[in-house]
Amino acid sequence: MSARGHSAHPVPAAAAALALLCLLLTGAAHPCSDAVPAAGPDDGMAVLRRSAEASGGTAYSAVRELTGEAGEGTDPTRVVNRPGDGVALVPMTAGAHPFVVTDSPFKELDERLLTTLERVYAVGDAGLDEVDGRPARTVEAVRANGTVAGRFWVDADTGVLVGSSVYGPDGRHVLGFRLTGLEPGDGYWPEEVAGDSPWGDVLTPAERGELRARGWVLPEHLAWNLGLVDARATLHAGRKVVHAVYSDGLSQVSVFSQRGKLDEDTRTAVPDGSVGTGTGGTGVTPQHDTIFGGDGGRYHGMWQADGFVYTVLADAPSDLTASAVTALPGPEDSGFWSRVQRGMSRLGLL
Amino acid sequence: MSREHLGERLSALVDGELGPVEHESALIHLAKCESCRFEADMMRRLKRRLHGLGEPEPDLDFMGRLVGLSRGDGPGGPDRGPSEPPPGGAGFGARPPLGSSRPLGGFPDAGPTPPMAPMMAEETVVAPERRARRRGERFSQLFPALPGGRYAVAGVAVVTALLGGAFVAGGETGDTPVVEPRLSDFAVEHAVTSRFIPAVDTLPSPAPSGPGPDLPTR
Repeated sequence: MSARGHSAHPVPAAAAALALLCLLLTGAAHPCSDAVPAAGPDDGMAVLRRSAEASGGTAYSAVRELTGEAGEGTDPTRVVNRPGDGVALVPMTAGAHPFVVTDSPFKELDERLLTTLERVYAVGDAGLDEVDGRPARTVEAVRANGTVAGRFWVDADTGVLVGSSVYGPDGRHVLGFRLTGLEPGDGYWPEEVAGDSPWGDVLTPAERGELRARGWVLPEHLAWNLGLVDARATLHAGRKVVHAVYSDGLSQVSVFSQRGKLDEDTRTAVPDGSVGTGTGGTGVTPQHDTIFGGDGGRYHGMWQADGFVYTVLADAPSDLTASAVTALPGPEDSGFWSRVQRGMSRLGLL
Repeated sequence: MSREHLGERLSALVDGELGPVEHESALIHLAKCESCRFEADMMRRLKRRLHGLGEPEPDLDFMGRLVGLSRGDGPGGPDRGPSEPPPGGAGFGARPPLGSSRPLGGFPDAGPTPPMAPMMAEETVVAPERRARRRGERFSQLFPALPGGRYAVAGVAVVTALLGGAFVAGGETGDTPVVEPRLSDFAVEHAVTSRFIPAVDTLPSPAPSGPGPDLPTR
């Protein structure tokens, strides 16, 4: 009995040591505990899929307000959804023009976004809430470390997505929207406005492979949580421009790439005061900390590298945008050693 | 004398070293003595063949060592410049090469007077080689104290060529067009695909149709 008692003690000690070792090893493998897909029942996905189906086939009008840091200082806009025609944004202030997005085949993109959301986060049904006096079901996307990355509100009666919010790792509300005054049925439609639609040339996996073989940087993932959900192309002045859309299911990062280089004498300004970069990555530091737009989740960046010009537009938390930008070829440095390094790389010596 | 063979005088006859009287009597003997005539003929052929072998070329390494000895350890000492000849006359290589002096028995086809034109031609041929050798000596003096100086020079040359080649290869390729991305189009495309459409008044107006600002400028 006593012998058995002595021999029984080392086993838990060894198991504890083994468990501790595993814990240390797994901890070393993942420097950020939330940089892994979150596990969970994902019972909120059914709510979101029903909402995606309902939003495409339900006519409604509402007033949209942008929320979070990205929405500060913006005016509300009337949103009109007309199945078969698309979505119209009609400004409620004088001097602004309506904007129409035609009813493009977004179903596949929606499904890819939902699949990515389910892969990256634990998507749970958080129960009923209330938005503008109407009952709404709340769905939460939770990171592996338990922090909330995003919330969705789905109108309980119509299934329309009436609100969403994206939160940064520090809990800041980065961007989102909320619909108020939801009215089912047709509303005012700006017939005089020709709608915009995504570029029509959808790149198939085989076409993406051909582009990669010709030197285009078009990875399937920019980060573990940023997957390629859509890739399209068009021609500008007879030259191909590729638009790659990366997403974690909550936010989207658009990467535009085209062959060429930037003009040294040209500085391109974009709205919101963000400024593109000049030749040699002027105005861009290797850490990319000077090209993030300071408008809360809105980001514009432009640089050239290895014979391509990259333009990144993102509505996403800064950490997600940073992951995307750093995964792309960095801005070229025009210094001597950078040029030598670039030459050695081209000669196959590096 | 006519009964005695010429002996050692035969060699002097072939070399043209006999006096007029002895030369005449030797010729008379040769006219009568078949064996001496045969021997003289063989000796002349041998002399002619030896002369036709050409000039011996000195070994370059051996010559370099000789030059080093004459420059550093010779009686002239280190005060003498590297291009100056050693004391006592012309430097090594400045003199006619061995075997180019007047051949024994005189030149077979030109009489007793040695021809000067070939020697002048040899001088003009040898001079550029000698000047190049002197330049090499001057360059080698840049690394007098390094035992592996040649390897260091070779290493520096290789690294310089590598860096230069990489610098050239790392330059901009000539066929890279200058573009100005159409940010207005990009903003609309991003808004449409993300469907996170910002405030309407912040959206850029649609890009005009036709060639845009990103036309290649060269």
